[in-house]
Amino acid sequence: MNLYDIKNESLVAEGKLRVEWAARNMPVLKSLRGRFEKEKPLQGIRLAACLHVTTETANLMETLKAGGAEVRLCASNPLSTQDDVAAYLAIEARIPTYAIKGEDNETYYRHLKNVLEFIPTITMDDGADLVSTIHKESRQVLSTILGGTEETTTGVIRLRAMEKDEELMYPVIAVNDAQTKHLFDNRYGTGQSTVDGILRATNILISGSVIVVCGYGWCGKGVSGKCKGMGANVIVCEVDPIRALEAKMDGFAVMPMIEAIKNADVIITVTGNTTVIDEHHLENAKDGIILANSGHFNVEINVGRLNVLLYPNVRHVPMLKNLY
Amino acid sequence: MDMSFANQALSAVYIAHHAGELDNKVYSVPKDIDETIARLKLEALGVTIDILSEQQKRYLSSWKEGT
Repeated sequence: MNLYDIKNESLVAEGKLRVEWAARNMPVLKSLRGRFEKEKPLQGIRLAACLHVTTETANLMETLKAGGAEVRLCASNPLSTQDDVAAYLAIEARIPTYAIKGEDNETYYRHLKNVLEFIPTITMDDGADLVSTIHKESRQVLSTILGGTEETTTGVIRLRAMEKDEELMYPVIAVNDAQTKHLFDNRYGTGQSTVDGILRATNILISGSVIVVCGYGWCGKGVSGKCKGMGANVIVCEVDPIRALEAKMDGFAVMPMIEAIKNADVIITVTGNTTVIDEHHLENAKDGIILANSGHFNVEINVGRLNVLLYPNVRHVPMLKNLY
Repeated sequence: MDMSFANQALSAVYIAHHAGELDNKVYSVPKDIDETIARLKLEALGVTIDILSEQQKRYLSSWKEGT
């Protein structure tokens, strides 16, 4: 039986080139890899990872393997998987990889189980899906687990809730809390890639448009700053008084969503919360408004409700959904 | 993602070597890992920075020094 489930085995060469390109922009990881190859600090570790299956993650997986760990990988989001990277990892790098771009929910959770089948000693999460699956359904893993790591704000919030309820059964390091993570990847990385995603999907001109950014955490600060730098009129929506004040003093207009949406050309949610844009907000929106979510889960915009109540004819374009 | 994943890799090593000392809690990344990664990134960017003198270290850690 193949220890992988990927879309297309013929994409290895393409994936390899792109993984090598990403490596050129990851000098810190490269230096760790050199050290790991000599010192093998992860010898004997079985590491299950649930991360976005991208070129950067491929470099992390190879670094962990170079450190002596046995590694398995599944996707932490069904839409972000790069199928050529999955092919490269599974076939050339010989890292069991379970990820297919656009996989349905059933496949997504089967892949999580596939990764847990080898009874890992360390879990590496982006959104706490492995921790959550182990605690809910695969508790046999708890007897051998040493600990876990968590990449993102949303995952850390869930883990702290588990700790508070005394439900967390193994230690987890919140990578998101590291300053070299959230001060940089969230602000500059997510800031840039959010704008990039919107431009690729819509091809709009940012300059002169009204962009509402909902949430002024590290990601929201990044998104707002990039949009302002490109000439947008940026409005920030917040629920935290200190962050709202910070946004105001950083030079942004600050107001409630129900007001902000009236003039918005684009709304970007980066809150980590649910139902931030709901039906009643859309009643105030201009025709043709673009809704974008950059938060971890796809629950920030109530798309399901909007489809049912407002827009029966929905056309799906890859990574872009038009609502008529 | 360079520094994020450097944190992931070094946090995994930290768990592998300190698992027995940890409770079932959420931990922050140890500060020395954070600083190591920042130093490696600065080095990669070709940036060098100043170092506190002994006099400056004493000044910062003492309440007896003059203002």
